[in-house]
Amino acid sequence: MSDTSNPSSRLQEFQTEVDSLKVTGGKANPERTWVIIGALLMIAGIVLSIISYASISSSAPLKGQIVFTDDYAALGTLGLVLAVVGAALFIVMSLRRYFRFWLIRLIFEQREQADRIAGR
Amino acid sequence: MTPILELRGVRGGYGTIDVLHGVSLTVEPGQVHALLGPNGAGKTTTLSVCSGQIVPSAGQLIISGREVNGVSSDSLARAGVCLIPEGRGIFPNLTVTENLRMFTHSGVSMNEMQETAFAQFPRLKERRKQIAGTMSGGEQQMLAMARSLAANPALLLLDELSMGLAPLIVEELYERVAALASQGVSILVVEQFAQAVLGIADVASIMLHGRITRTGPPQEIAEELTEAYLGGTSGSHA
Repeated sequence: MSDTSNPSSRLQEFQTEVDSLKVTGGKANPERTWVIIGALLMIAGIVLSIISYASISSSAPLKGQIVFTDDYAALGTLGLVLAVVGAALFIVMSLRRYFRFWLIRLIFEQREQADRIAGR
Repeated sequence: MTPILELRGVRGGYGTIDVLHGVSLTVEPGQVHALLGPNGAGKTTTLSVCSGQIVPSAGQLIISGREVNGVSSDSLARAGVCLIPEGRGIFPNLTVTENLRMFTHSGVSMNEMQETAFAQFPRLKERRKQIAGTMSGGEQQMLAMARSLAANPALLLLDELSMGLAPLIVEELYERVAALASQGVSILVVEQFAQAVLGIADVASIMLHGRITRTGPPQEIAEELTEAYLGGTSGSHA
């Protein structure tokens, strides 16, 4: 414990401790970014799949032309994977946010009830 | 001199619901700043932001000249920002000594903790083996304060110290707060009932609907307070 008799030395010590704090810049709503990323992935995946599979079906090979059917199929599959991952991220993060607020509400109501019972 | 605590346009609350709509206030070193306002104005949320429990969604939390948005509340507590929450925040089913022991994790030895606590509040020494929940409201508040003071705070955040206590006890507790301020501890005190705190405050602010509507000398604020509580007509409007 530091010396309390000298306010300026305590203040100096406090200043040093605050300067050495690790500040992450934290976020008030940490799931928001992930929800947005999930939604974007989902949309990008669906669009990629549609374009790729549509390209396969519309690619009638002309004489001497190489058709990259396998590449389109791979891209389409990648799109599907992205859409599934995006949807999972979106659902998980949305649920996480919802349950976090729900927990805060439960705690708050429990506290209110305890205060009412204790007559505070 | 650099303010020990500064909020600049802080917005924040619980989840997507903002309770604070651009709060700005300053606490100078060694100053007692009283934050007054009716129930639901956002006073406790402001203290939660200052103690790092709620991360502002916008604006800046500046401590000793450094922006510390997003810093963990335990780091701030270790550095010397001490919150005494509304409802005392003690363990009601533990004895006084056990409650004090629970706070030794902040790096203070048990001997130092007891020495400071019992010197500040001799009544706690008589009650040291008593279950904290069975003590009177005033004694519980003393325990909450003693536990925090032993950690040698540089900035003390007090939430509704007077809640549920007899006026004489409140007066005694605020005398202790004034003594602390005279030792150089900076204090931000939140109160719904202003009379108790205005006597010891250097500066007072009125908070309404998540905004600080007026800051000034305690005497001036006292005059405007009734009007603010009843009509919300004091100071600037949003």
